[in-house]
Formats: sequence, structure tokens, C-alpha cells
Amino acid sequence: MNTTPELPVPISYIAGNYFVFSVDAATFLRREHNICGVLTGTLPQVPQQNVFTGLPLELMPEEARLLVEKGVACIVDEVNFQKQGMRSLVEEDRKKYLQELESQGLETMQLQMRRKERQRDASLKKIEEKKAAAKAKKAEAKEDTTADAPTVAEDSVVSLFADSGEPSSHISSRRPSTLGSIEPMGITPPVSHPPLPQQPPAKHLLPLPEVQSSYPLFAHLHSKGYFLCPGLRFGCQYLAYPGDPLRFHSHFLVVSTEWDEQLDLMTVISGGRLGTGVKKGFLIGGANKNVEESDGAGSNVRTFSIEWAGM
Amino acid sequence: MADLDEAAINNPSSDAGQIEVDLSDETQDFRMLNSLSFLADTNDLSLPKRGEKDFEPNPTLFQADILSASRQAMHSALSYPRLHNPKNKVIGVYAPNGPAPPPDPKLDLISEDAPTERPAPTTSIGVSLTTCVYVANPKGGLFKTIGQADRWNRIWLLPEEALYLLERGSLDIRWPRGAVGDGGEHNIEDSGIPMSLQAAYASFIGHSGLTMEKFSVYTGLRRLGYAVFRAPGWSQSDNDTDGTACSTEPSEEGQLAMRQGPGLAGIFKRFLQWLQDSPSTTAAMGPLIGFGFHRGYNHLFRKLALIPYYDPVTASPSRAELPYTVALHIYKPSTHIRKSALPDPDFRIAVVNARTDTDMPTLSQIGSLLESTPLEPPASNKPLYVRLKNGYRNVILAVVDQGVVSYLRIADAAFGKEKIFDAQAPLRGNKLRGPPRNKFKKR
Repeated sequence: MNTTPELPVPISYIAGNYFVFSVDAATFLRREHNICGVLTGTLPQVPQQNVFTGLPLELMPEEARLLVEKGVACIVDEVNFQKQGMRSLVEEDRKKYLQELESQGLETMQLQMRRKERQRDASLKKIEEKKAAAKAKKAEAKEDTTADAPTVAEDSVVSLFADSGEPSSHISSRRPSTLGSIEPMGITPPVSHPPLPQQPPAKHLLPLPEVQSSYPLFAHLHSKGYFLCPGLRFGCQYLAYPGDPLRFHSHFLVVSTEWDEQLDLMTVISGGRLGTGVKKGFLIGGANKNVEESDGAGSNVRTFSIEWAGM
Repeated sequence: MADLDEAAINNPSSDAGQIEVDLSDETQDFRMLNSLSFLADTNDLSLPKRGEKDFEPNPTLFQADILSASRQAMHSALSYPRLHNPKNKVIGVYAPNGPAPPPDPKLDLISEDAPTERPAPTTSIGVSLTTCVYVANPKGGLFKTIGQADRWNRIWLLPEEALYLLERGSLDIRWPRGAVGDGGEHNIEDSGIPMSLQAAYASFIGHSGLTMEKFSVYTGLRRLGYAVFRAPGWSQSDNDTDGTACSTEPSEEGQLAMRQGPGLAGIFKRFLQWLQDSPSTTAAMGPLIGFGFHRGYNHLFRKLALIPYYDPVTASPSRAELPYTVALHIYKPSTHIRKSALPDPDFRIAVVNARTDTDMPTLSQIGSLLESTPLEPPASNKPLYVRLKNGYRNVILAVVDQGVVSYLRIADAAFGKEKIFDAQAPLRGNKLRGPPRNKFKKR
């Protein structure tokens, strides 16, 4: 799990959105760079629910930009990269790729069959054991009336061992024949590498993502170690978490403002009340555009947290 | 503790004890997913309880261990492969240039005149032009509510349908020969190379008006079991061609309502109305209730109703503008659906991007959006508050912020049409039984 993908991590730009498709990249960004994104895909193992979602990871433009500025990611024009990349595949690559997939498919198929057999073995054993137990019970019941009960019980024990031994020997003899003729499992790979190269050619790279005016505040909070997620559910711009949202509750509802912006008092009050009501602080902040950033991201940003005093 | 507080946002009334928590509202601990035995039994799958979370990080090893276990669980859940057992594998082929007939020389005659005719948004093979994946061997229950069949028994899929099926591991989509440099540009035969999830997103998002916001809503609802179909207002260009179909629907209803007015019964009703009102028609300056016969309070109350109110029944339909158009039609899982003849949808959804449309829609935008939906008056036997809540027309706004979706229901309530004094009338007749009780208990 703690693998570091090859840097820079390619971020796919598709129709105005930023995606990460590789599992390793997604967990790496989360672990090392406090970037969570939003998992928007369906998990194939449990497809009919919305609690746990899977890849791809959708990144906010702010997150994408931050990663590019840090030098850990690059933006790829995925649509054209895919189209041209696939078209320029050579016959050889295609064949190699297909063979690779087939061998992977065979492997998983074998794995699954073995697992199934193991399960069947286990359940067979259970049934046998149950039978044996029932027999033993009967024998015990008989013991009261007849004198030669112990021999019966002994018999059952012997038969138990014989039975449990049998199926496994059956299977071991059957296995080679079944494995020889199996068809490979079809696989839908999560990423297009291979057959396409891991790092796209420079002509498919895109410039820095366009971001909203809230970006300085975003970068500032991120540099302070906060994890930021979209804040739609609480009517704010970002939710700020003190640690990984997997394990921690968010602390702040973040709303970005311009430096000289006139704030409606009602906004402050409603934000403060809502934030306090859900045990979070309401945080407003913005960058002073007249002051140059002296050191690091967002050093010219000021933030205020508002709490409903409820006197 | 904070769990409850976050839940309180969802139901402010917070009837103690039965607070319903939407687990998908927050990032869940993926360790909980491990309690689902996804490989073995599929029949006793139950969703996990929400995990305990800590307030803030501390430098203990204990916390670090839990966190890394959570991440490990997340990693393994995300890396679960999409496998297709050869026994029940369904294969689709991507057709980037839209639907085309199979490359059978015998059938060329039919296909030749396809591009010239193009009468509706369907080709001569009978499927929508915006489809882009065909499945030659459709198997499984999912195709009951997905796809359109052509003459050769192939099912054509819209981009969102194809992407959803691929994502949930139910469909193996292949690149066509034309797209992998093997054969001509328009060759859409199966090349045998499976499309990755990444390639599928790159190919389908942005295809025929499918934005990521719409796809988030589509797949979110599909995952919950709803059947989801495109509505006429899917995209503005579609809306232009289908504009007539879109606007006639509500206007028909409106006309129906208007027609009911001047019918024979309507004339009689008006006559009665006139009888009631005319004896004391007062001048603009005069008293509201002049002299005359006043039989009961109803009469007086009707006189006092001076302020004109909005009547959703007679509202004139106007054209809705993107993004405030009905983009998706939703059917509950219980609704019986035939793809060829879709019934009236259970819900209508307009999809809004919270990043680009940051303002609350204007009254005229909401108005035209509501007017583009058919009239669904509340049942008259329902209690007052249920009727007000139901409204005369309704639509659901799905607001999407970077993959996070919130649903808002907007209904056209008609307070003016609820005559409180009329409803109370029957109780007043029997004077011997004491003072009238309020019929409308607050629910």
C-alpha cells in the first residue's frame, strides 16, 4: 500500500473535470499530500449503495492546481491522449497487451476456482462433522439400553476420519484436469497504462488549472495541514478537517471572501449559527492582494473564525 | 457526539430516538466495508454502521495505527478488480461516431440511405443518435431499464449507461478496430482490446452533452436502484429539436384545465358565483361588506379576499433555459417500466453545477422550470399541509459540487386555493354540539 507512484502523478483532465484513476496515486496523494478529492465511481464489489464509492477520484480544480504547483502532478489532456495513443498502437503492442491480460485473467480464474474448492471442502467437512456428531449422539442414547454401544461410537469416529480424508483426495486428483481447460476471466483494467505509456508525451500536457478567487485561502489552510473537501452539504465552500476525513470530524466551515468585500451581517450570523449548531467553527478568510506573498503559499491570507455566543 | 450534531442538520425537528442518518453524507471509514463479505455471499449484504471518529489528531501510535488500517482498507477496497466470468460475460463495443448498422454486405442497401433521411434524432436503425456503445449479447436484468434495441437485436447504450455498467463491472467494453489503428476509421468491429475505466471516462464524459455533474446524479440514483432516463431538456441542443414536445406537454394540461372552466358546469358555477357576489357589489371606495343578505361567514370571507393570488393551474408555459431544465426522468424501483413506452416519471430532476451557478435561481427561472413540468394537483382528500407540501407542480434540483450531490425539491404551493373557511363549513351547521373545533390539527 505504501508505494510511491512515479512522479509526477498524471491528473486526467476530462470535459472540465480533474480525475485520478490509479489506486496508488489516489492513496499516495491522500497520505503524503493531504489531498482527498471525492470518490465518484461505483465499487464493483458492492455496486448498489452510495455509502462507499470507488475510483475515479474527482479532484477540485484547487486541489489539482496545488499539486501541480508543488510539482507532484501534471495535467493531461486525457481525451486526446487516449484517442491518439490508442490509434498509434502497433500490432506488436496490441498482441503483447492482450496476452498479458489473458494471463492475468487465467490467474484470477484459477485463484477463484481454488477458493471455491476450498470453500466446498470446508462446507463438506462441516456436513460430515455434523453427521458424525449426530451419529455419536444416537450412539450415546443407545448406550443406556444396549451394552455394545461403544463399538458403534468408535465406528463413527473412524468413518469421520475416512470421510474427511476422501473429498480432499478427490479434489487433488480432479484439479489438474479442470485447470487445464479453463477460460480466462475478462478484466476491465482501471487505468490505460499499459498499453499507453505511464507518462504522456509533452504535447498532451495542459497548463495550470483555472481556479476561483478562493484559491489563496484554500492553499493557506492546506499548508497548515488541513484536509479540505467540497462544502456543499453545509452550505460553505470547503470543509476543513484537522486530519484525514476517514478518521476525524471537520472543524471548520470555510467561506472565502475578497479582501475589501462588504459582508452582509446576515451571512456572518447564519454561518456562525449553522457552524455552532453542528459543532464546527464558521471560518471566513481571504488574501490581501496588496501584500506580496513573502514566504510560502498564502502568507498574505487572514482568517477569522466565528462562533455563535448564544448569550 | 458530533455525529448527532451533523445529523441534526438533516432533520432539524430531530424527533428524539429515531434520527435517520444518511451514511453517504460523510466520508465513511473504509474499514467498515470489510465487514461486508463481498466475495462469498451476496444474499446477506447489509450496510455497515458508521464508524467512530476522533476529534483531532494526536501523536499517539494507537491513532496512527487505526488511521493506517483505515487507509489500508480503503486501498484494498479501491483496488478490487472488475472481472467478467466467461460464463456470463457481456461485451459491448464502442462506436465513437454514433450508431451504425452491422457490416453485413447484404444489409448495405438499408444502411445507405441512413444519413440522408435522418427524420428524427434516430437513425434508420431505430436508436438514438447519441448512443455510442453496442452490445451484441445483452444478458442480465440490468438491460430491462437500460439501452435501446436496433433491428439486429443489438442493444445500443447512451454514454452514461455504458459508463455506469462498466463501472459496476457488468459490462466489458472493447475498443473498435477503427480506434486502435486496425482497419478503417469507421470500422466498429470488436478489436478485442478492453477499454479501461480511464479510457471510458475520457471517451464518454463530454459525449452528447454528458457532463460529470449529470453523470454523478445518474450513477448515484442508479446505485440506489432508481431507473433513470434522459428527459427532453437534457441539453440545450436537444431541447431545440424537441422543444415542441417539451412545451406542448404542460400546455395541454393547462388547456385541459382552462377547458374545464367554460364548460357547462363552469357556466353554471359562474352564474352561482355571480348570484352570490352581485347583490352587494360595492364601489371601489365603498365598504367591503355592504348591506345585504349575508348568509353565513363564508360569504363574508369570500368578500374579504381582496388580494389576488397566484394560481398554478392557469400558469402559462414558458421555455425553460439551461441549466434549469428537466434533464432526467426518475422512476422508483417499484414502477413497472417498459423501455418502448415509458410511463410518466415519478420524479423530474434538473442538474445544477454549484461551481458555475452559484446563485439561487431567479423566480423566473424557477417559474419556467416548474411550468415545463406537467400539472400534478394534490389529492383533495389529503390533509391541508400535505397538499401544500405536494404543490401543483414539482421538480427536484440536484446541486452538484465536485461529485457531492444535494437534492432540493421545489413545489408550486397554492396557498390562495386552500379556502380555510370553506373547509370548516360543515362543522358549523350543527349548532347544538357546542363550539366548532379546529379541524386542522397541526401535524
